[in-house]
Amino acid sequence: MGFILTFLARRLAQGLLIVLVVSFAIFALVRMAPGDPARTILGGMASDELVEQTAREMGLRDPIIVQYGRYLAGILQGDFGTSYIKSESGGASMGNQDQIRSARASVGSLIGSTLPYTLQLAGLALLITLVVSIPIGIAGGVHAGRWQDKFAVYLSSVFVSLPNFWFAIVLALVVTAKLGWIPSIGYQGFAYTILPAIVIAVEMSPIFIRSLSVSVADTLRQTFVEVAAVRGLGPRRILYGHVLRNAAVPILNLFGVQVGALLGGVLIVEYIFDYPGIGLLTVQAVTQRDFPVIQGVAILSSAIFVVVNILVDLAAARIDPRLES
Amino acid sequence: MASEVLAGSATPLPVKRPVGPTRRLWATAWKRPEFKVGLIIFLFLIGLAVIFPFFTELSPVKISVKDKFLPPFFLEGGSFAHPLGTDQLGRDLFIRSLIGLQNALLISFSTVILMFLIGTAVGLVAGYKGGWVDTILMRLTDAQLSIPLIILAIVILTITRPTPLTVILVLALASWPAYARVTRSVALTERRREYVRGAKILGASDLRIMLVLVAPNILPPIAFVAILDVARMMIFEAILGFIGIGVQPPTPTFGTIISDGRKYLINAWWIATMPGAFLFLSLLSLNLMGASLERARNMLLRGTI
Amino acid sequence: MTGKQATLLEVKDLSIELIRGQERRPVLDRVSFSLEERAVLGLIGESGSGKTILAKAIAGWIAPPLFRKGGQVLYRGRDLFGLSEADTRALRGRHIGYIGADPGSSFDPTIPVGVQIAEKLRAVRPDIPMAQAAKRTIELLDRVRIPSAARRYREYPSQYSGGMLQRAMIVDALVAEPTLLVCDNVTQPLDVTVAAQIVRLLRDLREDIKAGILFITTSVPVVSEIADDLLVLSKGRVVERTTPARMVAAPEHAYSRELLERMPRIWTEQPPLRSTVDAQAARAKAGGKTQPILSVQDVTKHYSVPDRDRFFGKQIVQAVRGVTFDVFPGDNFGLVGESGCGKSTLSRLLSWVEPPDSGSILFDGKDIATMSARERLTMRRGFQLLLQDPYNCIPPNLPVGRTIGFSLQVHGAGRKEIQEKVDAVMAEVGLPRELAERLPIGLSAGQRQRINIARALVLEPRLMILDETLSSLDPMEQARLLDLFEKLQASHGLTYLFISHDLAMVRKVCTRIAVMYLGKVVELADNQTVFMKPAHPYTKAMLSAVPVLEEKPYRAEDCLLEGEPPSPIDIPEGCSFRPRCPLAIGRCAQQEPGLKVVAPHEYAACHLAA
Repeated sequence: MGFILTFLARRLAQGLLIVLVVSFAIFALVRMAPGDPARTILGGMASDELVEQTAREMGLRDPIIVQYGRYLAGILQGDFGTSYIKSESGGASMGNQDQIRSARASVGSLIGSTLPYTLQLAGLALLITLVVSIPIGIAGGVHAGRWQDKFAVYLSSVFVSLPNFWFAIVLALVVTAKLGWIPSIGYQGFAYTILPAIVIAVEMSPIFIRSLSVSVADTLRQTFVEVAAVRGLGPRRILYGHVLRNAAVPILNLFGVQVGALLGGVLIVEYIFDYPGIGLLTVQAVTQRDFPVIQGVAILSSAIFVVVNILVDLAAARIDPRLES
Repeated sequence: MASEVLAGSATPLPVKRPVGPTRRLWATAWKRPEFKVGLIIFLFLIGLAVIFPFFTELSPVKISVKDKFLPPFFLEGGSFAHPLGTDQLGRDLFIRSLIGLQNALLISFSTVILMFLIGTAVGLVAGYKGGWVDTILMRLTDAQLSIPLIILAIVILTITRPTPLTVILVLALASWPAYARVTRSVALTERRREYVRGAKILGASDLRIMLVLVAPNILPPIAFVAILDVARMMIFEAILGFIGIGVQPPTPTFGTIISDGRKYLINAWWIATMPGAFLFLSLLSLNLMGASLERARNMLLRGTI
Repeated sequence: MTGKQATLLEVKDLSIELIRGQERRPVLDRVSFSLEERAVLGLIGESGSGKTILAKAIAGWIAPPLFRKGGQVLYRGRDLFGLSEADTRALRGRHIGYIGADPGSSFDPTIPVGVQIAEKLRAVRPDIPMAQAAKRTIELLDRVRIPSAARRYREYPSQYSGGMLQRAMIVDALVAEPTLLVCDNVTQPLDVTVAAQIVRLLRDLREDIKAGILFITTSVPVVSEIADDLLVLSKGRVVERTTPARMVAAPEHAYSRELLERMPRIWTEQPPLRSTVDAQAARAKAGGKTQPILSVQDVTKHYSVPDRDRFFGKQIVQAVRGVTFDVFPGDNFGLVGESGCGKSTLSRLLSWVEPPDSGSILFDGKDIATMSARERLTMRRGFQLLLQDPYNCIPPNLPVGRTIGFSLQVHGAGRKEIQEKVDAVMAEVGLPRELAERLPIGLSAGQRQRINIARALVLEPRLMILDETLSSLDPMEQARLLDLFEKLQASHGLTYLFISHDLAMVRKVCTRIAVMYLGKVVELADNQTVFMKPAHPYTKAMLSAVPVLEEKPYRAEDCLLEGEPPSPIDIPEGCSFRPRCPLAIGRCAQQEPGLKVVAPHEYAACHLAA
């Protein structure tokens, strides 16, 4: 039991460090952007004096380390800052000189209100990915060199060649607009999650199909698998009890690395389908240079990455005790 | 192994010339049908993109309002004068796609070369040196991997002006960690190999061992599979163009063409879809070659070829 | 299953071929023999004789590129090759048990060993409930003398030592009470003391298991200890069927005689004529004190590994614990010990790939630690180390000539000089010139080892350390390389330090020998003394465990060891050999014996050594 705690403590410390590095990098990058955030908030019509005054009030003239420290202190209290653009009511508040800061939405609440949608989308996408890639990948690995293997190779090559944004447009055009089968664009119910999820699943599954077949084929070549048959174990027991168990470890690790790609895919797809999740929030923030939101999203995504990877490592060590050390 | 030991004798028995790993890798990939299919499509598209623009009056940027919204040849009203139709400004989509392909290939190849150089250098040093150098470099890599590439690229490109060069730099900077990881893990096992120790005993310096012995041994297999990343980077380049922070108009890129066409999806669906199909085909050719090279590499690493 | 003479297994005219692409060659050629119920049949042959494939054929494990060309394997009258998939499966594991030479990779690394054995029992005997299967497994683990079997049941393969895993494999094969047990080279990967324990265990078990055993090995002495009858296999053919006694006394077939010739000899072998004592005396007479070429002084090396059970805890692996010895010019110094004794760590320290934690290593009287980078580079020219594994120690991507030239390049030689020296050295070690342009792919172990030698030799060293350099080669090639070493010693005035576990080889070539156990030198003396009247009980035990056909100067039964060497993390207090020592006395538990003089030029670390 001791090792799990040690392991968790060590990984959490490392993870915290990662999030810190990321947040500082993003924070610094954003401060290097041309244009004055105070100007962004107040709009082009505001006088220079007002901009300068607002900037001072917001602490934008302090050294970057001080600003970062203030930002971190805020995060510790659950305050990720306030959007430059979005108001609490959801609309943009750009260029309104009378707008007072309290009316602008907090980044925390913006993320909080969009996160459930994104989780729903990512969850469904992951489910489809696994349902598609597990059987195809395993069959490809078990029957290496046969049609199952070739099918896996060709299918994953086709899937990985579909640019997600283009595929999303084509699906929306054909399935929603022309055929009217599944609704998409915007969100008015669970059905609106299906097409975006399919697009993400198509983007993710080739990686899993390939790795799974490689990993299964590799495991099948190990001595203990051959010996198992001679020891008297049946082929099913060998496949389900031993081969898949061992092949799962590299797949888990792959999943950990792919979390970033999953989040990236979500971003584009949400934008195209006008799906009200974090991705759409981010793209809008980018086009409007709403840096507090971008910062918040980047930190969130790296935190998700860290947490998922700790879980992945725990699961992998649970399967293969050699990974504990 | 046992039979090889048995074959060991003082009399020389080099029967046939042993072939190096790189040649075996190529030969194995070449035997796979998907490699040939991919190569044929790729050569065809490259040839078209390089040669065709010289032999046509069509211009990728010339606006011709009278020709706007012409459908592709297989629809009513279409003709071979504009095989894939025209866009909202009457520009020919075929020639725009070809030039887009040229740009995409240029950008993505440069990107992959750059990220390969950065990533493998970092990975080699981390894996070979180990210790705190490794720890620091790898935590940095983790940090970078933890932000989705696209978010990082977006942040950087919104604060700089997007030109082909900045796009290349940003994509390479945002995606080298994958190479660093792979190279490091190979270098780690390589470092423990006896031949490295052998060279150390001979008195060779770390740098010499790394450059003369380790790098030529582990980099080629990684390089071959980089073709898959050329395809990936083409997609990313297109995505950046699509959300408006890639190479800027009027230079045609797949991203901007599709983004423009999206506004006319209902009336002129071909503007967004046709160039996309063209992009898909290019990607498919690269990925088919990449898949067979990857397969060959796995066989090489397993020692089955 | 009724009379004692009933035939259990009959192999009739079995021929197996290897077919790969254009290549087609016979592996087994009309092999016929029979094995009675509960009898033990030994099968002896060298590597490449097809014996492992025969073992696998009997266990029903013939897969492409191997194909049966003809013949039958009859188990109690049923042809194994004629059976359906389901019937084969019903025999495997249940009636035919198999123990291989590779216990380390025979279990799934992700599941506890005991659980896997119980799983196997349940797979072949679904009628046995899980609880009972577990109980039976633990009983058997205990029976093969795995300490604290109930706890070991839950441990993973990576937590077992090699000998322990081989015991577990034996349990796995026996758990379903098979009637036929195939033991394929079971002692091959194990250290001599552990291998001797396994053979003794199988001999003991023979009485209470009701199985016929096919015992396959390369070693005549090992098979003599256990088998009733003996088959000699050569190039896929059975050339002789005999009994162990007849085999030793009067082998009929020429190949059997050759095989006996090649069995290792220790006590009837003459040690090399030159003894260090003489050499030293001669040098002393010639005037002046002789200076050791290599002097190792109280060298230690510890590694720390993370402790799984404590927060940020560390465990200390004490790999080398204060080793001291001198090697004199012209010596053939031997350093012997079983795996885990610290000799490979010591070899790393000697080659200065990593520095020792304390103590010093002097080359030509100069401490390597205090040398400047330039001096160290010069030192490396004079002091080379040949590595164990000829497959991994040569860079795979460089042509052979460049690999050899690389040594000179490192030391800043010019193109022309490199070319000349490489040509000369290749000729000297017997490598054909045209090999220089080729990559090492496809070369045999012997040729690779020659490349390795050439690469070291081209630097014209005075001291060469041979770290298990010959252990992966077959006896013929080994003999050829030993000749080469002797020739080189004569022409270049080399000094050798052999690091090896091969006692027969050490007996043949070394003048002085140091024996290591758990990171310490426990005995250091000249060849004749170490082999004929060893002062340390460990030396005696190790020597008595070597399977040889000769009369030993002491009875093996008196000094066989129990258990396995302790882990270098948990080194016992007092004398580290005490827990396994048959002679341990009270003092051994309290005080660690140092290396002390027991006779002139003879040292041992034992309280009992006089």
